[in-house]
Amino acid sequence: MVKHYRPPGKKKEGNAAKFVIRSQALKQLQISLPLFRKLCILKGVTPREPKKKFKGTHQTYYHVKDIAFLHHEPLVEIHRAIRVHERKIKKAEAKKNHERANRLREKTPKPKIDRIIRQRYPRFVDALGELDDCLTMVHLFAALPASESKKIEVECVHKCRRLAHEWQAFISRTHKLRKTFVSVKGIYYQAEVEGQMITWLTPHSLQQVVSDDVDIVTMLNFLQLYEPLLSFVNFRLYHSINLKYPPILDPRLEALAADLYALSRYVSTKNGSSVVNSEAPQVESEQLETKQKELETGNETSELRLAQLQHQLPSNEPGALMHLVEEVTGEHEEDQDTKECKTLFKNVKFFLSREVPRESLLFVIPAFGGIVSWEGEGAPFGESDQSITHQIVDREAQGHRFLSRDYVQPQWVFDCVNARIILPTDNYLVGRIPPPHLSPFINYDEEGAYVPDYAKTIKHLQAAARKEVLPLPGVGNEDLEDPQNLVVEGIIGRAEANEAAERKKKMMILEQQYHNDLKKELKGVTYTTAGSKETSGAVQTGESATNVEENPDDDMGKLMMSRKKRKLLEAMQISNKRKQAQVDLIKHRKKKIDEAKSQRS
Amino acid sequence: MKGKKKTMPKNDVHEEEAPLPSEKVPSPPVSDSDSDSDYEDSSADDGESSASLDSLSESELEDDSSENGGSSGNVEAEGTESSLDEDIVNGEGSGSENSDLDQQVVESDSSEDEVAPRNTIGDVPLKWYEDEPHIGYDIKGKKIKKKEKQDKLDSFLANVDDSKSWRKIYDEYNDEVVELTKDEIKLVRRLLKNQAPHSDFDPYPDYVDWYKWEDAKHPLSNAPEPKRRFIPSKWEAKKVVQYVRAIRKGTITFDKPKEEDGPYLLWGDDSGSTEKSNHLAYIPAPKQKLPGHDESYNPPLEYIPTQEEINSYQLMFEEDRPKFIPKRFTSMRSIPAYENAMKESFERCLDLYLCPRVRKKRLNIDPESLKPKLPSRKELKPYPISCYIEYKGHEDAVTSISVEASGQWMASGSSDGTVRVWEVETGRCLRRWEVGEAVSCVSWNPLPDMHILAVSAGQDVLLLNTGLGDEELQNQIKELLWIDSSTASDDSGDKAPSVSWLKDDKHMGLRLRHFKTVTAVEWHRKGDYFSTVMPTDILFKVLIHQLSKKLTQKLPFKLRGLAVRSTFHPSRSIFFVCTKKSVRVYDLLKTKLIKKLDTGLREASSIAVHPGGDNLIVGSKEGKMCWFDMDLSSKPYKILKCHPKDINNVIFHRSYPLFASCSDDCTAYVFHGMVYSDLNQNPLIVPLEILRGHTSSNGRGESLAV
Repeated sequence: MVKHYRPPGKKKEGNAAKFVIRSQALKQLQISLPLFRKLCILKGVTPREPKKKFKGTHQTYYHVKDIAFLHHEPLVEIHRAIRVHERKIKKAEAKKNHERANRLREKTPKPKIDRIIRQRYPRFVDALGELDDCLTMVHLFAALPASESKKIEVECVHKCRRLAHEWQAFISRTHKLRKTFVSVKGIYYQAEVEGQMITWLTPHSLQQVVSDDVDIVTMLNFLQLYEPLLSFVNFRLYHSINLKYPPILDPRLEALAADLYALSRYVSTKNGSSVVNSEAPQVESEQLETKQKELETGNETSELRLAQLQHQLPSNEPGALMHLVEEVTGEHEEDQDTKECKTLFKNVKFFLSREVPRESLLFVIPAFGGIVSWEGEGAPFGESDQSITHQIVDREAQGHRFLSRDYVQPQWVFDCVNARIILPTDNYLVGRIPPPHLSPFINYDEEGAYVPDYAKTIKHLQAAARKEVLPLPGVGNEDLEDPQNLVVEGIIGRAEANEAAERKKKMMILEQQYHNDLKKELKGVTYTTAGSKETSGAVQTGESATNVEENPDDDMGKLMMSRKKRKLLEAMQISNKRKQAQVDLIKHRKKKIDEAKSQRS
Repeated sequence: MKGKKKTMPKNDVHEEEAPLPSEKVPSPPVSDSDSDSDYEDSSADDGESSASLDSLSESELEDDSSENGGSSGNVEAEGTESSLDEDIVNGEGSGSENSDLDQQVVESDSSEDEVAPRNTIGDVPLKWYEDEPHIGYDIKGKKIKKKEKQDKLDSFLANVDDSKSWRKIYDEYNDEVVELTKDEIKLVRRLLKNQAPHSDFDPYPDYVDWYKWEDAKHPLSNAPEPKRRFIPSKWEAKKVVQYVRAIRKGTITFDKPKEEDGPYLLWGDDSGSTEKSNHLAYIPAPKQKLPGHDESYNPPLEYIPTQEEINSYQLMFEEDRPKFIPKRFTSMRSIPAYENAMKESFERCLDLYLCPRVRKKRLNIDPESLKPKLPSRKELKPYPISCYIEYKGHEDAVTSISVEASGQWMASGSSDGTVRVWEVETGRCLRRWEVGEAVSCVSWNPLPDMHILAVSAGQDVLLLNTGLGDEELQNQIKELLWIDSSTASDDSGDKAPSVSWLKDDKHMGLRLRHFKTVTAVEWHRKGDYFSTVMPTDILFKVLIHQLSKKLTQKLPFKLRGLAVRSTFHPSRSIFFVCTKKSVRVYDLLKTKLIKKLDTGLREASSIAVHPGGDNLIVGSKEGKMCWFDMDLSSKPYKILKCHPKDINNVIFHRSYPLFASCSDDCTAYVFHGMVYSDLNQNPLIVPLEILRGHTSSNGRGESLAV
């Protein structure tokens, strides 16, 4: 039976007029399915959900306007031209006319994505808001092995690597990193750029396996969008801190695979010498670059001095005053968070051993104001530097141990960053099993959330640090007023003193807490045992009475709700129950673990 | 014969050898061999005059060997050598002296080489002769015998012993072993090196200009150099001009050097770009969920599932299984590469471009806030909370109860066929009537002075005198309930033939006999009229009886649907009839339908009117209760779904703003139902209490009266 008979030639109405299924769209656009997919990916066209699926539920529906939007896309024409070209190349190859084939290959038109990016993200903030997937993908491809069979080209991998490093250099330099999390899947970073929280995942720097159940073509299509997007974003970001964008890197460091360090150095030096005049900084920076290069070729050990030099350079230049003013205003613009991040590792100097994840730490530590070096060529200072306060080690076997520094595991850095305080290193020393690494993305304020023990201790430490900071500002100011050339040892001394004080404070707090706990416990004991049982019984009955009174009341309220709301309420209650069950399971495990521990002791 | 035989081969040899000399080593040996053969022949002649060819040849061989050994060893050696050389040139080796067949015509071996190989089978696969003892036939038709196969071991031993074995080659076709000479080996080596076979061959000889010689006086051509060799080409110039013009026109373009277009400032200032594109609303993709503690490389111990739990995951459905099982590593160094990194990224890609995006409002609210705000129940007191008294006596389910107007007495009807009257306060059973049939409804006269009870049981409606009140009242009631049997039947016969008024002596009352089962009896507020409902009757579903005149009349309206209950308006002459799906409201004075209320219920079971008269509740068999505000609409103002089973009865309180429903599920719900005199304010309904503790019998619950 034909339910809705529509005479031929009459216009469609409703959902049938607004939506088309995919095969119809393909027919209309006269393109192949892979190209359609690619266009959808590039243009950000997604299927839609019509209220009534007039062609069946298993179909994919697109809005007519979306299809028209694709129809007017110049990319379609370009891809047709590309197809024609490919055919020509094939023909030339078949005729062994390699010269012509090569020429054609070179002349193959290349689609430009910039217009599409602008269209998709009319404002810069929009682009930043959707940068998560882009960054994750680019970081993933930067860690992939290039392979001919999987169509992952070497250039593509290199480009991804470069873009990722540029992004990290910017974040690190401007201290915009907020949170880090080392998970089994990789390392999560969260940065705040222009008010947008951007979270991305970088895989561990190990060989990634490209399995066969992954359609690499789709991913490459996405990459085709993400690569230019990230480069445009990077350009804009570098522009915002007065830097020339495709950064010119020191080839020697690049060759040593210390791109990030090279980049960050580039960024820091350029930033230091930036002046209002747009041309001047370039010249200066070029000068700097040449100087830098000369120096580098001269001597390796003088790198630290060089860095100091670079910091002093701007003050000798004519535009220094202006620049200073600018910097001051810039400081004011920075929010409290950035300031806090900037000064976290202010007095700490790191040295990375070979076995720790260098790339990650080289990114994180400078982002929080620390100075860092590593074992290997091109490092700014060696292991024997006396001013190093923390050496990051992940292995027991050590040659020479310096007494002046702490040998900590890399997790300490990440935990410090998340807690925003310098944690005591006792638990993180080499050879010990470090305390659990907690996710910084969990919100404990939520009702019924489970708070692990270590989160509690960190909270105590944070509170202690805050209290300590309060009386300190005077001291801090004095320090700041001191001449720049602080003796390094002095810094260390202060840092150590700070730390010692912190430790003391922490101990005190812990002690106090312990006492409190003891008292509470005592009270509890008296309450439960010595105290009159009748009162508790009475209380209980009271509670039960109230419960009795309350429970039916809940039910009664439900009676008056509409069915929709009642169902919603029930769904909510079920989900809440499930969450609660999860928490209960964890609590139960915790209880068991504690019991086992107490039994052992 | 002999002479011929002698000469023939000789001639052959000479003729055949003629073209060869240039390539061959000098010929003298040939003549030698010739002389040899002559000599042999002569010797043969000497030995045996008449013999067959075979024997001859054999003898020749013998003689030859003996004589060669004796007289001319040197010459013989030379001869063999020469024959070898010839072999090489011809490319077919057949010059081994050992073969007896060769020896047969030694004098002509060179010629024989030329002509044919020893084997005469022709160009056929050797396989065909594999099993045969011969290989072809000779000119005389005799089989050419194969050589006897040598034992492998022997041949090996021979090879080992023989220092020259490495240069011996077995010729399969001719079935013989050939020994290569030094020259041949050289030649083979050269061939292997891709060189010309002969070492004296020069592939790059100096060019000799045969046309030049020193004393040449005249050039080959005496023509003068043409002019065109000295002036620029006209055609080339034309071609150049053509190209130049084409380039200027732009028809010829050059491949420009490729320029990598890098990024530029795409978002200059965002101020101008705030205008929206005319495209459909863009929904940004939701961000991925941020990882919790369990994804940490070093999670707290309590996040790691025990082995039992991991095993129990196997029993779960695939979809319910947790996707990620937390693991713990003691150092960052030991974290392995995540094997699903690519896969997860790919799945995210799929989500991004294949999933329809729909904006969904996510309620991030406390579920409690969804509940409507109702006044506290404490403020709405008094209302019944707990069981105060239990009236025991009925043996079966109580189907109906009714309370007297003063509230002192209560009547109850049960399906055990009895009607009882109780004192409410004490629970004392005052009276008991055996009706005989299951009682479906009892109803007390609303007038406080008239202690009459209407009871419906089966097809009868009984009007019982309860015997309460003082004597005067009793007399009044008795008078009212007295009927002359003869006249009564006549009166009723005209108007409503379905009902007969009879005198019931047993119970001291009246009996109204209906033709169908009566389910409900309801009094008018003045106590004179009452209505009965017969759902199964087609014509007279609802009847109205007048007690004072003992009259029965049917409703003057047509009623659609199955009547369930009927009731009178508490203050006006309005009559409500509840059918299965709707409630009809009639004006009795004007005898017309005022309103039809659409319940939307599947099967209504009971109806009650608010004392104010503008609101009514309808209970249904699916457990729903509808509150109608008749001023508001003909649709229910509120539908309360509280009972899981049939609602048996609903009722309003006479003075308090309360109403209640009772159901087969052995519960009764008490609600607060406040009706305001202000027309703008909707009635307030608050559920108050669930009364439990009832028992069910025969699957039916109980009815209710307040």
